[in-house]
Amino acid sequence: MKAIRLTSKILKTLIKDRMHYPERLIVDTLSILSRFVVLILLYSYVYKINGGLINNTTFVVAAWSMFFYFSFMILNLRRIAIYIMQDVKSGNVEVLFSKPISYIFYRFWWQIGLGLYSFIIITIVGGIALYLAIGFPSTFGTNIFLFTVPFIFIGGVILSLIIYTIVGLLAFWLEDINPVYWIVDKAVMILGGSYLPVALFPIIMYKIALFSPFGASQFLTHSVYDSWQGNWYELFGIQIFWIIILGLVLYFMFKGVKKKVSVNGG
Amino acid sequence: MVVKNFIYMQDIKFALYAIKKNIQNSAELKTSFLMNIFGMAINNTAFIIIWIFFVKTVGVINGWMASDIVGLLGFSTLCFGIILSVGDGLRRLPDLVSSGSFDRFLLSPKNLLIRIATSSFGPSAVGDAVFGAICLIIYGILINATLIQVLLIVFLVIITSIIFLSLVIIIFSTSFLFIDSDQVTTGIFNFFLTPGLFHGGAFHGLMKLFFTFIVPSLLVGTIPIEIVRDLSMGKLLLICVLALFWFFLSIKIFNKCVKKYESSNFMTFGN
Repeated sequence: MKAIRLTSKILKTLIKDRMHYPERLIVDTLSILSRFVVLILLYSYVYKINGGLINNTTFVVAAWSMFFYFSFMILNLRRIAIYIMQDVKSGNVEVLFSKPISYIFYRFWWQIGLGLYSFIIITIVGGIALYLAIGFPSTFGTNIFLFTVPFIFIGGVILSLIIYTIVGLLAFWLEDINPVYWIVDKAVMILGGSYLPVALFPIIMYKIALFSPFGASQFLTHSVYDSWQGNWYELFGIQIFWIIILGLVLYFMFKGVKKKVSVNGG
Repeated sequence: MVVKNFIYMQDIKFALYAIKKNIQNSAELKTSFLMNIFGMAINNTAFIIIWIFFVKTVGVINGWMASDIVGLLGFSTLCFGIILSVGDGLRRLPDLVSSGSFDRFLLSPKNLLIRIATSSFGPSAVGDAVFGAICLIIYGILINATLIQVLLIVFLVIITSIIFLSLVIIIFSTSFLFIDSDQVTTGIFNFFLTPGLFHGGAFHGLMKLFFTFIVPSLLVGTIPIEIVRDLSMGKLLLICVLALFWFFLSIKIFNKCVKKYESSNFMTFGN
């Protein structure tokens, strides 16, 4: 009960904060404009000069796949690594460790709360705008899509948080985690289908995207393809596998971290 | 409030001294310094991987081949690296303004812009510069560059760096205009930077005009590649004119924005 109250308080407070500072929504919108909108315009041209079909994928499907990637990015879950590093460097981690709450879950909910407002607004407005501009892919009407998308989204959120929290906890051992963060972040960017949709990947890269945790955290982008109807359970299985494995890594890593920290009080 | 408009020899000497001290300071944390450089270089290869796979899947667009992508990223990351390693202080402007720390820069007898820019050093941007330089060397080899093309590449690195510096000054000058300026400047900076890292051949028509003249993202990568590849003197003249235009505009905007600064933004009551 206490945990639920804490979670709802964090989410409510952060959503109110975000609503109070509209500049942050502007920043997220600019980020989407500079990446997604420009990419969509580029791809529409590229598809046009390629006769409307690349690797048996239509422009509508590729565009929605990329929209799912960028919409997910608005949640900004990756920043959890940087916040953990800041906690460690500033010593704030001591204060948080001494409170009767789970540090990891506190940071998880904090991170979700920070991006939730922009995510909801931009996803709804962007989704409507994209629908009006290019329409929906045929897969959107299927029961499998409607039933599986919420679960693959939640799985992606959990896996992303675990991956970036592991990176963040490295701050207890490394002077500067930024280089590790950049490399992991770019692995997610490439294998998640950001600038190049998954359907346009060469076979080897597609396999890496399928079986690596970085690609698995962005399986949401696979849900728009026709192949999703036949392989969704396989992708679910891979995502759950990585959540369990990396969840265990996180658990043991955090145990080590707790031994490393000594809370000295005032 | 008086802002110095001219740069004298003593300002340049001071800038070089500050840069030297900043590098020595950053290099003290050797592991972190080297990790930042190599980490950023590896990080940048992600864009090469993406766009080379894009070219392999989609084919040649408007004459742009994989080698051009290498050159494009070479120009973009090299000028990014040069400007934001030695001039990292400009990126800290939002923080300086919101915390009131900007006061100490105003009190300095040195050129204000140089003083701010050289107040901090970005070790990770050195990784960008190294990566960019390697990319441009590979690009030169891939296209069998003639002597003229090599000289053009060197000259265009200077020009694109001036354009990049100008845009960085303009973007971070807006720190004086917004309350939550850190977020806003980051958003505007990404809006300028990102299109410059995209496949240059896919820009056409109105979009190309927009990202050349209004938001000059293509001036730091795409247009220089087209100049080197096609030996286009018209475009070379255009980029030089635009570099001068953006540079003088940036100084004007910076001076105007600085006047918006109010001392004691942060009420510390002498603490």
